[in-house]
Amino acid sequence: MNATDKTWPWKLLLAVILIGVAAGTWGAVQKIEYQWRWNRVPQYFAYLSEDAQKVPFDGQVTTIVPQGEDVAVTFVAGKAEKVVLTVAADSLKVEEGEELFAGDTVGFTKSWHLGPLMLGLWTTLWLSGVSSFFGLFLGLITGLARVSKNFTIRWIALLYVECIRGTPLLVQIFIAYFFLGTVFNLSRNVCGVGALALFAGAYVAEIVRAGIQSISKGQTEAARSLGMTAFQTMRDVVMPQAFKRILPPLSGQFISLIKDSSLVSVIAITDLTKSGREIITSTFATFEVWLIVAAMYLLVTSLLSQLVFYMERRLAVSD
Amino acid sequence: MIKAQNVVKIFHGYSGVVRAVDGVSTEVAKGEVVVIIGPSGSGKSTFLRCINGLEAFNEGHIIIDGVDLANKKTNINKVRAEVGMVFQQFNLFPHKTVLENLTLAQRRVRKRSTKEAEEKARMLLRKVGIHEKADDFPSRLSGGQQQRVAIARALAMDPKVMLFDEPTSALDPEMVGEVLDVMKQLAKEGMTMIVVTHEMGFAREVADRVIIMDEGKVVEVGTPEHFFTNPQEERTKLFLKQVL
Repeated sequence: MNATDKTWPWKLLLAVILIGVAAGTWGAVQKIEYQWRWNRVPQYFAYLSEDAQKVPFDGQVTTIVPQGEDVAVTFVAGKAEKVVLTVAADSLKVEEGEELFAGDTVGFTKSWHLGPLMLGLWTTLWLSGVSSFFGLFLGLITGLARVSKNFTIRWIALLYVECIRGTPLLVQIFIAYFFLGTVFNLSRNVCGVGALALFAGAYVAEIVRAGIQSISKGQTEAARSLGMTAFQTMRDVVMPQAFKRILPPLSGQFISLIKDSSLVSVIAITDLTKSGREIITSTFATFEVWLIVAAMYLLVTSLLSQLVFYMERRLAVSD
Repeated sequence: MIKAQNVVKIFHGYSGVVRAVDGVSTEVAKGEVVVIIGPSGSGKSTFLRCINGLEAFNEGHIIIDGVDLANKKTNINKVRAEVGMVFQQFNLFPHKTVLENLTLAQRRVRKRSTKEAEEKARMLLRKVGIHEKADDFPSRLSGGQQQRVAIARALAMDPKVMLFDEPTSALDPEMVGEVLDVMKQLAKEGMTMIVVTHEMGFAREVADRVIIMDEGKVVEVGTPEHFFTNPQEERTKLFLKQVL
């Protein structure tokens, strides 16, 4: 008997519990009067927009040439002026030889545009990406400063970490925008990224410090006894080993940052959360939109988790 | 080669001030093999660690090849490059292969090219009998093999002196021999060595001089014959009775 044979009752139990929770939720929702309008949601991911193509002057349509799903309409006024307008074939409103006046519509061009949900997701991604980068940089420096032999450096790092970890991120964002942003005339994006980076940096610093201190003293002693400098020892011996250990907590921190970035919506940065709120004001599809927004966050964070899992496996070769 | 004058190392522990090394003076000539023995807590390891500056001592002087470690202007990294050290727990770099363990400091400190460093490393690995494991990670090696790699890593820097801090204490009994063999060969080749150990057989066979330490002080110094046949001090007799 191997282990997998014995787990099926537990898998069954898990399935029963999950189905039970889903059914319970479904039943509860049925009791209130809520009109589900899932059909309103897709247009907020991407939508097809139609732009009217109008002739700029009075004249005559000379030729209409099909080009795949589009047609090219050549329009001339005398010999001097000539334009070619490309419109969707099924929206063509003119015939060859037809006389038109300036401003008349020839047809429509159709093009796909990203909706607010995708634009919001993009804002969330770049916001978290840029803050993660600066946060990592800041955290690395601060983490090293935390284990420095110099009293002043060590205490500056400690004060920074304690101040950030001891106050709510929401308050920090307000201070960054309304106080620092006003005093130093910073844009909301700079304030948002700055607040998130400072916040992440403090937590990364503690992770880095713990990682460095978890590497046995013998490693440093061995490297130093070979004549390597403190810097070389840190770079070639301690940090590569520490990095492997801090990767799981570090990735957890960055996944948290993606979620925490939703708080910048309070200073009117249109991230995924703010996009969701804006869509709700125009659709009243509250349930659908928040569920979709949550699913989008979940998708991004689980993809990141998978990536980290893969990296951990790659780094585990020397174990 | 090495001259220690009245070295004192003080630790501030919970139980107050401990004079771990309390006025140790000794001289080690080129090519000499000195074995330091003594009960645990006698300060022998601490004294050894003072010799390459892993522990800063509070008083006295340690002069290696004319360079005084007590002098604040001394570049400790330069001294350490000339003084190889082998630890009880091997302390190999687990994220690097055996070969990389041997080449890292050669390239960083001795500024050798990768090719030059690798040639040297392979030569030394052959010497300690583990050249076929060059591309393995240390975790794949037995304790005895790891310690031999650690010896080769120290030798790769072409040190003038080798310090051994209980190199066989963490090994399974059946692996002690292979490490001692490498050390014996090294002694035969004329390497200057200071060895802290509990291996009395090794002391008797290889040492030119044996130092017994207790409570931070040198209790007795002499040739191995002197110790094992005719110890003078009561504390030496007591210690030898316990270990032999």
